[in-house]
Amino acid sequence: MDAYGHLDGMLLAILAAEPAHGYAIAQALKDRSGGVFDLPEGTIYPALHRLERSGLLDSEWSTATGRRRRVYRLTARGRRAADGARRDWSRFAGAIEAVLA
Amino acid sequence: MSPRASATPGPDSPGTSFLVELDRELARRRVPAPARRRIAGEYADHLACDPGAAARLGVPDELARTFAAELAADDARRVTGETLAALCLAAVALVAGQLALGGAGGSPRFDRGTSTLLSLPAIVLIVLAPQVAFIAGSLGAVRAWRRRRARTLPDAEVRLIHRRCRVAAAAGSITCAGLLLYAMNFTSRLPAWWLTLQLGLAAAALAALAAAWRASRSASPTWAGVAGVPEGLAADVPRLAPLLARPRAAWALAGTAGLLATAAFTAHAEGSLAEGLQRGAFEGVAIAVGLGAAIAIARGSES
Repeated sequence: MDAYGHLDGMLLAILAAEPAHGYAIAQALKDRSGGVFDLPEGTIYPALHRLERSGLLDSEWSTATGRRRRVYRLTARGRRAADGARRDWSRFAGAIEAVLA
Repeated sequence: MSPRASATPGPDSPGTSFLVELDRELARRRVPAPARRRIAGEYADHLACDPGAAARLGVPDELARTFAAELAADDARRVTGETLAALCLAAVALVAGQLALGGAGGSPRFDRGTSTLLSLPAIVLIVLAPQVAFIAGSLGAVRAWRRRRARTLPDAEVRLIHRRCRVAAAAGSITCAGLLLYAMNFTSRLPAWWLTLQLGLAAAALAALAAAWRASRSASPTWAGVAGVPEGLAADVPRLAPLLARPRAAWALAGTAGLLATAAFTAHAEGSLAEGLQRGAFEGVAIAVGLGAAIAIARGSES
């Protein structure tokens, strides 16, 4: 299944729950989709950088278990964008389901 | 370029090969060093969390290309915004200085300053350069706005946007230089408050334009490898497409229109047809130069 077109929305949705670093985000993406999305894990980083440049995410280095890691969190704009992505998807999925049913 | 040693995989591990290759590809595409350090740190942490993830991260070449292409597109749009802001400052310096001349006893005759060798070039620069700055800046902004939702842009289009911004910044700087030259030429004729206002505004605008120019020079990793040819000028201004198909006719028409409009306006304001024709001719040449620059910019990008 092609998840690239919806990657931004999914990343925002994952970060809406709590701030996270790249590996945790990749794991959440895999776990929540039940392994359906076969994205190369590395592709989330360019998307995270782009979302940060767009002002939807904020990030900073933190040190955990002796390692430096970049932790991402939603900005206020990012939270609104996440809500918007969720609404858009619900409408889109509802329409598809209605057609397929 | 490696992150802290504790986060780095072993020297012979697939993770290390991935990091080395990714950094090499990012460097090849001229991604700036601070961005490369951050990227390396994040992937190293990912690999430290799961050393077996190297095989699932993706192809370093493709990842580097994505980083470079998206960064280049965002940088082009950011630089366009900075250039526009700097041009607005230059416009304020130009308009405020000219308007304030009324309160400073009016504009002195061009031959009443220190030297006509200073005043004539200053006036020519003040009339010609803003037109080029306005057209190039507007075209850069229009292109960046039209492509505001594009994640990546062809390398050639990124170069086109930067070229338009740099032409605009250069022409804006020349305008400010003309304003400074004009003010210095009339130090004995104009009050100190006007000179302070003009010199201050022009210097501030010049500094902002220089910063925009530097940002454009340094922020354009246009080696992302995204193929494609940018659309021409007609795509930015569709209504002008028929005219732009015949650039010489457009050039002559715009110059003549500028001449007639300025001549009519100035002749009415000054009560002198001769004065109106003189200024109109000047304005006609200025508009033709500005449009010529725009056409050259557009054509240069297509060649």
